[in-house]
Amino acid sequence: MMKQVQKKIIIMALRAGEIMMKSGAEIYRVEDTISRICKACGIPYVEVFVTPTGIFLSLDEGGENSEMFTFLKRINGTGTDLGKISQINQFSRDFVNTDLSIEDGMKRLKEIAKSKPYNLWIRALGAALACAFFCLMFQGTLQDFVCAFAIGAASYLLSVGFEQFETNYFIKGFCCTAFAAFLALLCTAAGLGDSSGPITIGALMLFVPGVAITNAIRDFLASDMLSGLARTAEAFFIAISLATGAGVVMRLWVLFGGNIL
Amino acid sequence: MIYFLQLIFGIVSTVGFAILFHVPKKNIFISALVGGIGWVVFAYCRNEYGGPLLGCFLAACMVGLLAGIFSRVYKETATVFTIPGIIPLVPGAGMYYTTLYLINGQLEKAATTGTQTLLMAGSISVGLLVVGSFFKVHYRLTGTVKRIIEKM
Repeated sequence: MMKQVQKKIIIMALRAGEIMMKSGAEIYRVEDTISRICKACGIPYVEVFVTPTGIFLSLDEGGENSEMFTFLKRINGTGTDLGKISQINQFSRDFVNTDLSIEDGMKRLKEIAKSKPYNLWIRALGAALACAFFCLMFQGTLQDFVCAFAIGAASYLLSVGFEQFETNYFIKGFCCTAFAAFLALLCTAAGLGDSSGPITIGALMLFVPGVAITNAIRDFLASDMLSGLARTAEAFFIAISLATGAGVVMRLWVLFGGNIL
Repeated sequence: MIYFLQLIFGIVSTVGFAILFHVPKKNIFISALVGGIGWVVFAYCRNEYGGPLLGCFLAACMVGLLAGIFSRVYKETATVFTIPGIIPLVPGAGMYYTTLYLINGQLEKAATTGTQTLLMAGSISVGLLVVGSFFKVHYRLTGTVKRIIEKM
């Protein structure tokens, strides 16, 4: 029979790992956190194997007659929430250094899992700022800046809408950049912006796979080749979805007799 | 003066991304500063010295270095600074121009720009990799030195 305490430890460690993976942490950090939590609970033998889609965890008490437990946790969906990663990091540090009970630990984990990102309108404002200033960085004019501000917010809200319906990342990237490119071309044609190029680049930057690239490299660095390759592939496909989204709209625009300024 | 303006642009756009990525409130400005400095390094190299590839490499090194230092100072995971910091460097413009040339049927130009875009993404990675390995070696060395001193 499995001891209740061990089960609780496993559940807590896997929960922490799951939150981290879903928030876009690197593999080695997740493995490290899980094995630290287990070792702090006095389990001598801990073996963790984390991939972007699942966590495997084996525990053994050591000794001749002790049983070994292996658990597997499937992880669906990824996102980026650096706040959660930072909080879990703090949690594991506290859990190891102070004698926090397992129940209290679970309570804290639940709070962390529930913590929400910034308010939707603040995020939309952030997207608008990012888009508008990227437009300036790529030689956009002041008129482009205003267009990019609106288009950035609009396309970000669209992407949030797609996330609500849990569509896959390819369709999301495709539709959002197509929408943004269309609006940019429309604004330029209507004379609101000077050139659609910088505006579209600004909107593209919102969806660019920077997180996937960064994490892929950190995984390679920690010699987690499997997840490094998986994340490189992820970055590559996101890039393709963005390029095709913008490309199809621009091509259709030209076919229907528009000019790309 | 141009670069001061670029620094401001870089900082503000990284603030936008820091909000999207839910960076903790107290660290938003610092991660934005990292992003802004990285962007200025890139812009300077692109315009005056060495071209975009070297620019991406050096800027990524800069971001990695600053993130490593700030993560120590503020007791925060380095990811919180690296991910928003690296975003301005990701070659979104290269992607756009590659697509633009492709739909206009200028395949040669598309191939040139596309290759450069891929290489830029690669050199960002290599920059982060180099600094990351440096930090790893550094921590291991300081750890060993500390242990030796304690033994003596």
